[in-house]
Amino acid sequence: MSIQDLVINLQKFWADQGCYLAQPYDLEVGAGTMTPDTFFRVLDKRSWKVAYVQPARRPKDGRYGENPHRVQKHFQYQVIIKPSLPDIQQVYIDSLVSLGIALEDHDLRFDEDDWESPTIGAWGVGWQVLLDGLEITQFTYFQQAGGIDVSPVPVEMTYGLERLEMFLEGKDNIYDLNWSADTSYRDLRLQEEREFSDYNFNQASVDTLQKSFLLYEKEASRLIQKDLLLPAYDMCLKCSHFFNLLDSRGAISVTERVKMIARIRALVNQIAQKYTAREASA
Amino acid sequence: MEFLLEINTEEMPPSHVKTALEQLREKFASELSSSNISVSELRTIGTCRRLVVVGDFAQSQEDREEVIIGPPKAVAFAPDNTPTPAAKGFAKAQGVSVDELQVIKTEKGEYIGIKKIKKGKPAKDILVGIVPQIILSLSFPKMMRWGESSMKFSRPMKNILCLFGERLLSFELEGLSSADSTSGHRLHFPQKMKVKSFREYKEALKEKKVVVEEEERRKMILAQIEKKLAPLKAELFPDEELLERLTYDVEYPYVFLGSFPEEYLHLPLEVLSTAMKEGQKLFSVVKERKQLPYFLGVADTYRDSRSLIQKGNERVLRARLEDARFFWEHDLKRSLKDRASGLKKVLFQEKLGTYEDKSQRLKKIVAYLCDKIEAAKIKKELIQAAELCKADLVTEMVREFPSLQGKIGGLYAKEKCCPQLVSQAIYEHYQPVGLEDESPSSLAGAILSIADKMDSIVGVVGVGIQITGSSDPFGLRRNAHGVCKIILDKKLCFSFSRLLDKVLDIYGEKLERPKEEIKEYCLDFFLNRLRYIYEKKGYRYDLINAAFGAGIDNVYFSFLRVKALDGLKTSPQFEPLILMAKRVNNILRDQPLYKINPDLFFEKEERDLYSAFSIIKENACPMISKGDFSQAQKIFFRIQSSLNNFFDRVLVMAEGKKIRQNRLALLQAISKLLFQIADYSQIVVEGEK
Repeated sequence: MSIQDLVINLQKFWADQGCYLAQPYDLEVGAGTMTPDTFFRVLDKRSWKVAYVQPARRPKDGRYGENPHRVQKHFQYQVIIKPSLPDIQQVYIDSLVSLGIALEDHDLRFDEDDWESPTIGAWGVGWQVLLDGLEITQFTYFQQAGGIDVSPVPVEMTYGLERLEMFLEGKDNIYDLNWSADTSYRDLRLQEEREFSDYNFNQASVDTLQKSFLLYEKEASRLIQKDLLLPAYDMCLKCSHFFNLLDSRGAISVTERVKMIARIRALVNQIAQKYTAREASA
Repeated sequence: MEFLLEINTEEMPPSHVKTALEQLREKFASELSSSNISVSELRTIGTCRRLVVVGDFAQSQEDREEVIIGPPKAVAFAPDNTPTPAAKGFAKAQGVSVDELQVIKTEKGEYIGIKKIKKGKPAKDILVGIVPQIILSLSFPKMMRWGESSMKFSRPMKNILCLFGERLLSFELEGLSSADSTSGHRLHFPQKMKVKSFREYKEALKEKKVVVEEEERRKMILAQIEKKLAPLKAELFPDEELLERLTYDVEYPYVFLGSFPEEYLHLPLEVLSTAMKEGQKLFSVVKERKQLPYFLGVADTYRDSRSLIQKGNERVLRARLEDARFFWEHDLKRSLKDRASGLKKVLFQEKLGTYEDKSQRLKKIVAYLCDKIEAAKIKKELIQAAELCKADLVTEMVREFPSLQGKIGGLYAKEKCCPQLVSQAIYEHYQPVGLEDESPSSLAGAILSIADKMDSIVGVVGVGIQITGSSDPFGLRRNAHGVCKIILDKKLCFSFSRLLDKVLDIYGEKLERPKEEIKEYCLDFFLNRLRYIYEKKGYRYDLINAAFGAGIDNVYFSFLRVKALDGLKTSPQFEPLILMAKRVNNILRDQPLYKINPDLFFEKEERDLYSAFSIIKENACPMISKGDFSQAQKIFFRIQSSLNNFFDRVLVMAEGKKIRQNRLALLQAISKLLFQIADYSQIVVEGEK
């Protein structure tokens, strides 16, 4: 089974569960959780079911294409179900079975791992799902987002597509994976990893990034005043990405680090508050 | 009658399971006892997905006698003993005849009334109320909500099995109805199955690959491990914490042996075992404390017939070991000293500066401690260790495996040929992590560890961060426990308050609170930590208070004091000495200090007491200064007869002012000496409680 077969399978499986199949968000994000299809939709009171592939960028994880399992961009399969279903663990297990994994021959474990994202003021309780010791999914019951207690409680399942595929193909090297029957991960991604690693660690202009951070931060503030919450949130995502790049350039001291995260979080929290207030009065 | 409760949940962390089982046991015991339901058996067992209560409870509440009091006897009966309307009215209201009225004696006099036997209700009627209430009252270190429910628990609840006397005990809990069925292993036997008794429950579950008793799972793991290791003639790298975790993590343990390429064996055991433990939770396999290219894992299943679990884990481990090797080689490219310069960028605490600042302070603190505990020989090496000990915070290895901090610094120092004393001090300077952990084995490690912890405590307190029951962001309690444990284990004697002064001085202007205030807070904080430690060791609280009465400036001596008091507490002379001390204290209360003038003693008994005291003082002082409080105390027992005679024959509060003050001065001297052993007036004696 290739990565694209894996995606097709998951799309089919979660569509059958009543999920709306979203398309990847068109901005750089560190995780599927950060896209509006998750961030905003977990805040309001309405039920919500969505599934989508989301490329996730983590500039610091770049290894110039030389490490067999670390990359600065990877692909997540993100599922949100709100409110969480009583048998959601079983549904998740069924999704693995639908991929043809004979679970009775394996060791499947839900291993305590509470998740948090300080940048968007979110945290949840849950597990990393281990299949024969390999982490294939982060499984989280959201408790807060944007600093606000969420209710009803959404459940998030984030499959690491490359990890899962390495399991399915029994391979040790990410670049050996098949994207499709005749296209490998190497063909598609190796050059990108090389170039972006160089950019992330050496070439990205610290000055430009710092200025951009300030510009987008200001713009987010301005848009919040105008109640344009979705555009304002986009600006926060840009800030978060610039922050990650500055971090991989080694341009942020530990003190600054905490402060910059707090600055983004303050904006995101404002957006979350305005959004929930607007939803409540609608 | 047999009671069985199983709360089935999604996977809970082991620490949650343990606290829940403890709470369930306590709460059932106390609720049943206050409901008058007798309990002949009660225990709790569980897995990460099940909290189970098994008990043998009475079928119904015990009958209770109820007394209903009516009017006073004098009102109810005329002098000729004929009932008045008051008696008749009361009897009627209670539905009994006047003949059945009894006289009941109360504090206020005689009344008439009746005694009724109140029949106990069936226990099931009571349990139906109690059980859901107990489940809802369980608390966890971190609670969560799920779905649309407002209930908070460790993890979402799936099913509640509840039987009493082989029948379903039916109740509702947040939309979940109790049931008389459960299910087996999640992957292998998810189907519902009905059970009637605990025996049936346990056996059926075992058949469906769930071993519900933790002790049994533990034994299964150990037996399988032994079987796997026997052919290799190897042993497990012991890790009680991991074993305990795995015991709760799986419902049916299956141990598998895996291997990894020998090329990774050049990595130290610490690195290999950490890489195995974190993430995959694997045990490393050793022979004579040397790593073999094997590991053991515990899966939640009953077979690995195609070795897929083993091979999968081997593949994941290889990737982790490859990372570890990369970090090891990468980190060793630079010396620790060179790396320590990177600490300028790493913040220790916003107001207290970076780890570079901390290292500079540690150099001064270890130098001070070396002087105070006569360890000047190792001062030079310790200063070097202090300078390098935090350098591993900026290594890749610690970034990946934070639990290796300290240890990895020590290993890198060793690789880089630092003196053994230096590398060992660095290696051990986080130890002990908590009271269960071991203190550093080397004196250098002990000193560096104390310095590091005291620096953190004084600094964090000094910038005004409060430590409360629920909030201790810098782990100051654990740090303080570490300091105390090292002092006791290593029998270190130094002035604790002067060490605090020194650390405060080194911080200088950085601290925001006034120095005196910080010092007072720290002393009080340590006093409470020591009290906790001594209580945990099983010493009586009043003996601890008595020992603390003599101060904790020498922390080790405070321990010797408690031990001495505890050792002599059953001696026949102990209690008279306490009573004597209390008497002396009472007489001396509110008296200013006086000076002894031996020429003014004229009664025989006061002269005798004075000379007895002088001899005792001469003998006890050397014992006190070397910390032999047991001997000092025994010497003090000898004062009792002279002191008794003194009190019997001599009037302390004599008419003449000079004579009175002289007698008080003698008692003050005795009290002062006694106080160097303990404040005996704190000890509770029989009959006083």
